[in-house]
Amino acid sequence: MSETDEVIDRELTMSRAMVESIAHEMREDEEVFYMGEDVADYGGIFDSTQGLLDEFGRDRIMDVPISETAYLGAAVGAAQEGMRPIAELMFADFFGVAMDQIYNQLAKNTYMSGGNVNVPLVLTAAVGGTYNDAAQHSQTLYGTFAHIPGLKLVVPSTAYDAKGLMHNAIRDDDPVMYLFHKRLMGIGWMPAPSGPKTPVPETDYTIPFGSADIKREGADVTVVTLGLHVHRALAAAESLAAEGIDVEVVDLRTLVPLDTDTILESVRKTGRLVVVDEDYRSFGVTGEVIARVADRDLGALDAVERVAVPDVPIPYARPMENEVIPDADDIEARVRAVASE
Amino acid sequence: MPDRQRAADGGSGVRVAVRATGDWEADVDEDEGILVDWFAREGRSVEAGDTLCEIQVEKVSVDIQAPAAGTLDEIVVGEDDAFAIGETLGWIQSE
Amino acid sequence: MVSQDKLCELYADMLTARYYEERLQEEYLEGKQPAFDISAGPIPGELHLAAGQEAAAVGVCHHLRADDTVTAPHRPHHVAIAKGVDLKRMSAEIFGRKTGLGKGKGGHMHLFDPDVSFACSGIIAEGCPPAAGAALAATKRNEDAVAVAFLGEGAIDQGAFLESLNFASVHDLPVVFVVEDNDWAISMPKERVTDVEDGSDRAAGFDMPGIRVDQDDAIAVYEAAGEAIGRARDRNGPTLLEVQVHRRMGHFMGDPQTYRSDADEEAALARDSIDRLEAELRDHGVDDDELDAIRDEAESRVDEAIAWAKEQPHPDPDDAYDDVFVNPPSGVTTEEPEFELAEVNADE
Repeated sequence: MSETDEVIDRELTMSRAMVESIAHEMREDEEVFYMGEDVADYGGIFDSTQGLLDEFGRDRIMDVPISETAYLGAAVGAAQEGMRPIAELMFADFFGVAMDQIYNQLAKNTYMSGGNVNVPLVLTAAVGGTYNDAAQHSQTLYGTFAHIPGLKLVVPSTAYDAKGLMHNAIRDDDPVMYLFHKRLMGIGWMPAPSGPKTPVPETDYTIPFGSADIKREGADVTVVTLGLHVHRALAAAESLAAEGIDVEVVDLRTLVPLDTDTILESVRKTGRLVVVDEDYRSFGVTGEVIARVADRDLGALDAVERVAVPDVPIPYARPMENEVIPDADDIEARVRAVASE
Repeated sequence: MPDRQRAADGGSGVRVAVRATGDWEADVDEDEGILVDWFAREGRSVEAGDTLCEIQVEKVSVDIQAPAAGTLDEIVVGEDDAFAIGETLGWIQSE
Repeated sequence: MVSQDKLCELYADMLTARYYEERLQEEYLEGKQPAFDISAGPIPGELHLAAGQEAAAVGVCHHLRADDTVTAPHRPHHVAIAKGVDLKRMSAEIFGRKTGLGKGKGGHMHLFDPDVSFACSGIIAEGCPPAAGAALAATKRNEDAVAVAFLGEGAIDQGAFLESLNFASVHDLPVVFVVEDNDWAISMPKERVTDVEDGSDRAAGFDMPGIRVDQDDAIAVYEAAGEAIGRARDRNGPTLLEVQVHRRMGHFMGDPQTYRSDADEEAALARDSIDRLEAELRDHGVDDDELDAIRDEAESRVDEAIAWAKEQPHPDPDDAYDDVFVNPPSGVTTEEPEFELAEVNADE
C-alpha cells in the first residue's frame, strides 16, 4: 500500500491536516488564495486557517466584509479568470445570504457556457451540531448542496482524508464545496471524538473524489454514512460486535460524485443497509443512497433503515438536540432492527 | 525540576523534558492549563522543533515544540488533563 | 432636556442589562473550567454578551411602546431588557428550559416575545427586512406603531441591510435602523472591512437622514432616537442611526481576543456609558443612597430571574417534535370541495 517503507506516525487533528494541504498548495501556486470572515488574525473561527496569515500575508489570506454575496461572487469571478480561490462560509447555515452566487452562478456557469468557462473554486464551510448552537448555526445541509447539479461535495471524517481531499479539491478545475464538521476539527474548546485525529503523511497526496472508504469491514450489516457520523457508526459497530453483529462502515467522503459501486458491493455482501446522516431525513442523503441501491440492484436489499434528523429544525436545549441528532445508540437500534429481519 | 536526566538504562542519550513553557507565559494570568492534543505517541521519533502537542491556557491555544531530536519516551500529562505552567508534559530520549 | 425621572429609568435599565450579562457570564463559565468546552455547563452553545452596548438599546427603546416592533441580532439581551421582554422567561430560554420564551427551542440568539413585539435573528442583518415589514403592516393598517432594527456595524456591509434601507425609503416606512458600532466584527476591525468610518453615511445613498452618536452616551442616544422615532411616528419616513458603543467581553464567551491590543480594550473600557450616566445623575443631585437603591433593585431583579430560570424544568426530548407548524393546525382544511368540471379534450 504505502509508497515508501516508512510508517507514518505523526498524528494531526483534522484542522491541522486541512491547513497543511492549503499551505502546500499556496506555496506551489501563487494563484491560490483564501477569503473569508475572521480567517486572517483569528485563523478561522473553527481553526481552518490557523497560522496561514503569518506565512502568506494579508494579500493571500483575506479577511472580508460580512458580505457573502460579494465575496463568494468575487471568488466565482476570480476563479473564472483562472485563479484558484478558496472562499469560506463561516457556517454552512449562512449560505442563504449568498444563495444565488452558489446556486445560479458557481454551480451553473460551466454548463451554461457549454464548458467554455470553468470555476476552479473551493467553497469551505463549517457544518454540524452537537454543541447547542440552535437552528441557525447547527445544520449540515448536505442534501441542499448535493441537490444542485454542478457542485462537487466533500465531507471528510478524518485528518488523513481531510488532507488528501483538500489537495484534490484545490487542484480540481470544477467548483468543490468542502464541508468540515466542527466537532471533528480538534478545536481546543470543542473536544473531538478520538477517531478524526490520525497519522498524516507530511508529503502532499490526493484522494480521488467518488471513492468511498470502508472504515470498518463487516459481514452482517452495511452502515453508509459521512462526517461526524462515521465515528458514531464505528462506536455503534464496536458495541454491536459484542452482540455478534458484524457491521461494515462505509464512509462516503464525497457526496458528489457518489461512489455507488462501493455501497452496492457492500450491500450485496450483507443484504442489510442502514444509512446514517446528520442532515434532515426527507429529500436528502439517506433517501438518495437507498434509491441508488434500489435502482441498481433491488434484489440485494433484504432490509433497509435510515437514521437522520427527523425533519425538525435543530432545537437549542440539550435534551431536544440530543433527541434529534442521531447518536451511536440510535444507529445501534436501527442496525439491530435490520439484523433481525 | 531538571530539564535533562541520564537515561534510566545507563545508555549514552539523555532524557529531555518537554515543558509547558514559552514566550506566551507573559500574556497569561492563570497558572494552569489543559493538554488538548498530542500529535505523537510514545516511541515515535521526533525532530527538534516538531509540534508535539497543543495546550490551552486561558482559552488560548499554544503549540509546544520538541526541544530536542530523539524518541518521545514518555507522555506525562495525558490529553484533557490539567497541568501547572512550567510543568513537564513528557520526556524525549535524545539520540 | 431629559427629565431626571427618565434618566433614572435609563440608568436602571442599563444597570440591569450590564449586571445580567455579568451574571450570565458566571453561569456560562460554570462547568467550562478548567478546559473551555462550549457544549458543557448550564448554558451551552455560543453566548454573545452585550456589556458595553447598553446606551444604544436603552436610549432607543425608551421611546417605544409594546406594539412597536424591535428586531435584534445575535447579541440581543440588552435590547430585550430595554424593550421590556419578560426577563424570567428570557432567562429560562437562555438556560434551555421548557418555560422559556421559545420552550428551549430557540436559545439566546433566537428570542421571541410577541407580547412586546420583540424578535431576533442569529444571521447578520437578517432582522432588517422583517422590521421593515412590521413598519409596512402598521402603514397598511393606519396604525401609528413604528419598528426598529438593531444591527452591528459589521452588518452594514450586508445586502439585507442595504436592500432594507432602499425598501423602507421607497415606501416611506416608519422604521429606524440602529447600528451599534462596537468597533469589531468578531476579529475584524471596522476600518479593515468597511469603507466608511461613519456608518450613518450609508443613509445618503438612500435618501434618508443619517445620524451618528459617537460618545457611548445614553442621553445623546435618547435625544437622537427621539428625533428618529418621532419622524417615524409622524409618518415622515425612515432614519439610519449609528451609535458608538464598546465591547467589554469579546465577541462570544471563550473568545481569546488575541487579535485585539490591550490598548484598544482599555480605551473601550474607559468610556463606560454607565459611569457617564451616573456622573450626570450626580450632577442632577441624585445622591448615593438613591443610586444604590436603583442598583440594588436592578440586581435583585436579575438575580431573581436567573434563580427562577434555573428552577424551571428541562424540556422533554419529545418536545423537539412540536411547533414545526402551528399546533393545533389552524387556517387549513381537511376536506376538498367537489365541483363538476367540464371535460376538456386536448384534441379539440
